[in-house]
Amino acid sequence: MEQDSRRAREPEGRLKDLLAALRKDLLLQWRGRAQVIAIFAFGAAALLLFSFAIGPDSAALREHAAGFLWLGLLLASTLALAESFEREMEEQALEGLLLLPASTRGLYYGKAIANWAHLALLGVALVPVMVVLYDAGTLRLISLVGVILLGTAGLSAPGTLYAAMTSQTRARQTLLPLLLFPLVVPVLLAAVKATSLLILGDPMGQLRPWTTLLAAFAVIHWSIGGLLFGRVVED
Amino acid sequence: MSGVVQGGWEFVAGAYIVTAAILSAYATSVFLRYRTEQRRAAAEAEREARK
Amino acid sequence: MRQSPTGPKVLVALGVALLLAGSWWGLTKAPGEVYMGEVQRIMYVHVPTAWNAMLALSFAFVCALCFLLTNSWKWDSRLEAAMEMGVVLSLLLCIQGSIWAKPTWGVWWDWDPRLTTTAVMVFAFGGILALRAFVDDPARRAVWSAVACIVAFVDVPIVYFSVKWWNSLHQAQSTPQTVSSAFHLPLRVNAFGILFLWTGLVALRSRVASLRLRNELGPPLPDSKPAVTGAAPIAGGAS
Repeated sequence: MEQDSRRAREPEGRLKDLLAALRKDLLLQWRGRAQVIAIFAFGAAALLLFSFAIGPDSAALREHAAGFLWLGLLLASTLALAESFEREMEEQALEGLLLLPASTRGLYYGKAIANWAHLALLGVALVPVMVVLYDAGTLRLISLVGVILLGTAGLSAPGTLYAAMTSQTRARQTLLPLLLFPLVVPVLLAAVKATSLLILGDPMGQLRPWTTLLAAFAVIHWSIGGLLFGRVVED
Repeated sequence: MSGVVQGGWEFVAGAYIVTAAILSAYATSVFLRYRTEQRRAAAEAEREARK
Repeated sequence: MRQSPTGPKVLVALGVALLLAGSWWGLTKAPGEVYMGEVQRIMYVHVPTAWNAMLALSFAFVCALCFLLTNSWKWDSRLEAAMEMGVVLSLLLCIQGSIWAKPTWGVWWDWDPRLTTTAVMVFAFGGILALRAFVDDPARRAVWSAVACIVAFVDVPIVYFSVKWWNSLHQAQSTPQTVSSAFHLPLRVNAFGILFLWTGLVALRSRVASLRLRNELGPPLPDSKPAVTGAAPIAGGAS
């Protein structure tokens, strides 16, 4: 019965639910900002370890800096995404959320946007780490932020969907990366390529196809995520 | 492509053998699992009938 | 409902027979190719495996959709079977591709877009099988694997195109060429061989899944999933 009232909500109702969910998640992120900082520290540590794996060859480090940035971001994202649902698992808050006459679609998008914000912030915060460790900076900062926004959007949508599932299973820490990583291969490829062009130079103007791919990926996964989330959290 | 690939029968043999091995291994595993489940279902049905 | 496994067994037997015939033909009768030499013969199993791997996973996608639309357990059993078969065929495809690549390109892996996409699919659908292993509630397991299967399948073309563009910047290597007309017979025979084989195996494997499910939920197996999680009928109860 709650399902029907949920589905019957008009667009304004859904938007309100989305904003309410978004606000709640952002507030919780702010309150738990120690976690946010810890996840950033994890990402920075990963970037450091990658440089040890390559060795002090500054040319090689610069050439692969984009790859390291996105790998570090991807690894850290599993922590951020898992954590976004762990809050719900405590005290069975997720069931409480679902009992409210709120649309699951609004819930999904609210959470996905909050995760997107978190991941984008993480990505931007890791840029200076990349600049310092790999001597890999760019003057095209706006474009770089744009690529980070598009790439993290692509991570957030499927990530939120899968985090909702895996947070309720036994092997949650292994299952989320196991399910997510193969799925976001296009994001990794395109984001690394785009970031690399920004860092190393783009004489032939090849940036546009990669950002288009990122945008297309995001659009597709935000759409199907919204459609399928309801089934994932239903009882 | 510039030249002719010489020989290579060991690769051909390898490919066919791997194909046969994997397909027969999987088929066997399916048949074995099916037999196990059938037997268990039959045993359960017997138990139910006896009750 | 006890079903006789004759149908699937016939399919499997027929499939094996066709495969043996097609392979024998490809290995002995068909002439070696001009540039590729004998290595070309790998194509007589590689191409049919590729077609069937894609077919099996497409069928899995259909099962996932059908399950979400009908909530019928039989589609979940078929989904499990189809995904498992698809992963096995895809894994086989990667191994065959690797064996083909070594004499041809000198490396075990050459990032060919189709093969790379297949490798990603092995991980993607293998991961969903892993997910199934860790979810105890049958209803949830069914819904989640159906959802994950749909997302993974929708992703396949995106993965393919992204790898294709990514790869094209690095090498102009051609992918395995389509086989010229003289060699079509062993290809078609093997294609049908693997088709019958996997169809029969999926039919059997879904029965395995159904029987296991029946054991989990207690007979009789309801046609639709329970309305409330955890309210599965106990053994001996009516649905």
